[in-house]
Amino acid sequence: MNDLIRNVDTPEEITAAAAELRQGAGANEISPNATLDVFEVWAAALGTPEMAAIPGIAFLRLWLRRNTLEPIIARELGPGALDGKWMEDGRAQLKAYPVGVVGHWPAGNIEIQPLLSMTCALLGGNACLVRIPRGLRDQTRQLIEKLVQSDTNRVLTRQVRLLVFDHERLDLHRAMAQSVDGAMIWGGEEAVTEIRSLPFPHWARLAVFGPRISVAAMDAASWSDLAVREALCRRIARDVWQFDQQACSSPQVLFLEKKEGHSAGDFVQALRAAFETENRIHPRETIPAALTSAICQARASWLLEDVANSAIFPAGPEWTILLGQGSEIPQPTEGKTLTILEVNDLLETAAKLDGNVQTLGLVLADPERESALASVAASRGVDRIVQLGRMHVFTPPWDGVDLIRIMVRMVRHVRSVQ
Amino acid sequence: MSTLEARIDELLAVPPYGLAPQDREPAFLALLKDELDYACSRNPGYQNYVQHWPIDPCAAQKLADLPYLPVALLKADPAFALVEAREIKKTLTSSFTTGQMPSRIALDSATARRMGKAVAAIAQDFLGAQRRSYLVVDVPGSVAQGPKMGARGAAIQGLMPFASEVTYCLRADSTGDLVLELDKLLEFAEAHGDSPVLVYGFTYILWEYLVKPLLSNPVSLDIPNVHILHSGGWKRLQDEAVDKKSFNRGLAQVFGCSADRVIDFYGMVENVGVIYPDCAEGNKHVPAFGDVIVRDPLTLEPVGEGQQGMIQVCSVLPTSFPGHLLLTEDLAEIVSHDGCRCGRRGTCFRFVGRVPKSELRGCGNIGRRREPAYPR
Repeated sequence: MNDLIRNVDTPEEITAAAAELRQGAGANEISPNATLDVFEVWAAALGTPEMAAIPGIAFLRLWLRRNTLEPIIARELGPGALDGKWMEDGRAQLKAYPVGVVGHWPAGNIEIQPLLSMTCALLGGNACLVRIPRGLRDQTRQLIEKLVQSDTNRVLTRQVRLLVFDHERLDLHRAMAQSVDGAMIWGGEEAVTEIRSLPFPHWARLAVFGPRISVAAMDAASWSDLAVREALCRRIARDVWQFDQQACSSPQVLFLEKKEGHSAGDFVQALRAAFETENRIHPRETIPAALTSAICQARASWLLEDVANSAIFPAGPEWTILLGQGSEIPQPTEGKTLTILEVNDLLETAAKLDGNVQTLGLVLADPERESALASVAASRGVDRIVQLGRMHVFTPPWDGVDLIRIMVRMVRHVRSVQ
Repeated sequence: MSTLEARIDELLAVPPYGLAPQDREPAFLALLKDELDYACSRNPGYQNYVQHWPIDPCAAQKLADLPYLPVALLKADPAFALVEAREIKKTLTSSFTTGQMPSRIALDSATARRMGKAVAAIAQDFLGAQRRSYLVVDVPGSVAQGPKMGARGAAIQGLMPFASEVTYCLRADSTGDLVLELDKLLEFAEAHGDSPVLVYGFTYILWEYLVKPLLSNPVSLDIPNVHILHSGGWKRLQDEAVDKKSFNRGLAQVFGCSADRVIDFYGMVENVGVIYPDCAEGNKHVPAFGDVIVRDPLTLEPVGEGQQGMIQVCSVLPTSFPGHLLLTEDLAEIVSHDGCRCGRRGTCFRFVGRVPKSELRGCGNIGRRREPAYPR
């Protein structure tokens, strides 16, 4: 195949890869438009049946489309940025320039994340060194092969190097950190803490996307509406199934606002049917025994700790619905274990959220109430408030951060002669 | 309850490996169902769990359909008991490392009595009924005579019925480290060299504090008529790249016996009273009063012969805590459901290892709470 994705074993290999990128990066200025041309072809190439098994592939394809990215580029970099032009800004003009070589440390649990992270920096014109966790190597290789086929003029492929090495190799992490001008760091607390403490150059710009969880909420008018119940349950199931509920944007809890005369039990039965259907369509192919163990523990401890709690689950670890009361978010189990908590008032619940919550997936019938709830949640630290069923749609800002702008220098030119 | 006890005692009275599976299973299943019923009547939370099980336990046609509890649920403090606190005579704790919670197993008199009887029945099948000198490769304090006892103490205690006299050959130094009492050991060897001897120690302790020092000296104790039982797992020895073969060879060299005198047994305090020694074929057998199901992590269905999965242990022995059906965090391979060449009837399996800890490095793995952006 190509040498874009390499197993590396020495710091020197990383330093050399960064030097290659730096040499090539200065040669040509690549406009976002030129990048989008390649992304469009790549998105189409990813639509083949053999790629369908990669979790999140639909999100990656959607992300790469011009229709998705053009408005994002315009918002983050300014209206003329698409063509790489200077933009008037009063008496000055502005233009986005790359920071240089951007290092990417993706999380080990999301198959498409190395490339999502990479595309953000490429749109800013940067070169990219991407560390690939060993567990994601095969899927990443499949995805990057499609880029190589699509990028016939090597507009983007000359800008990237994907490096496979183990998490434990501190010497290699250090070499990579020392070689970059910016870093996009994703993952759990231990991982991001270790990586952000690496010896980056003093000028390096760091964007850290640490661990978060997500929750969903529905008001009583919505979940008790029989006309939409089935569709709503399908949307919840879709959000839970993606990435085996291990992404920061995966809902771990669904808050249901109580309604007199309506039993959440009926809704839960409808959700059970949706989970069964989703599981038939997208069954797991493997599972770590530790996750099976955690799922069994979550079921048992939920039912043992309070006799008012109930649960629905099949004999296997395929999915679990835990039903109880209150607004306290339990420790997430993941692995398609959704806790449904009945609450009296969603606004009160939103007021108890904290910065651990990244995304709030909502279905609220009353738009004014939704606005009020969004404001409360946002003030408590929630960064994304989206429609239920679209919790994983990768649209910046993400974790409150613009994903392209964070890795560009907005250069200001004030003309010397007016 | 009294009829339950009588039925448990009936199973305890039969030879532990003498029944064909089809002869044992109906009574075993019926007894476990009644014990589940009893446990539910004693603990509302447990009843809630059983009621939500996807298969109605009353209608269950096979053991694998009954509700099992993940073993981690026994890490509760105080112990998850089915009896009143005043009825608890002893609390066993599992071994654990700093930062971990141990399991706590509440034993009432009846469960403790059955535990002793069950271990004796199993050990007798492997060692014979004769009492003999018992060398414990541990410190005397491991078997404290108080209300609490650790896993090491429970294992040492379980073999006491085979002891005519007991010698401990380790002591703790001023820093708490274990030290071999060589003079005491040599004196024991001198006195008992030709007689039948029973030795027990935790696997790692035997290697670290007996085999390693004596091989480096080198010293042979010359006790050819010894049976050396050990348990506690291989993790620390694996870290030192010591496999079972070299472990057995080292022990045989130290004791001057053949390597087949070394018997590894699998056991856990949560599965109180049931130990699984290796037979001559290298397999572990389930006794008449217990069973083992190995479940596929993907489906939780029982696996077939030659396949690996998560171990579920089953036992009719406990009535003071819900330890009848426990899903462990260990992996095993089912060898066969009957017909081991050693002659023991019933299921036999081989221990594979602990369930590997999953790497929690994902972006959805939150470890601690964050402060709200604007506290109210």
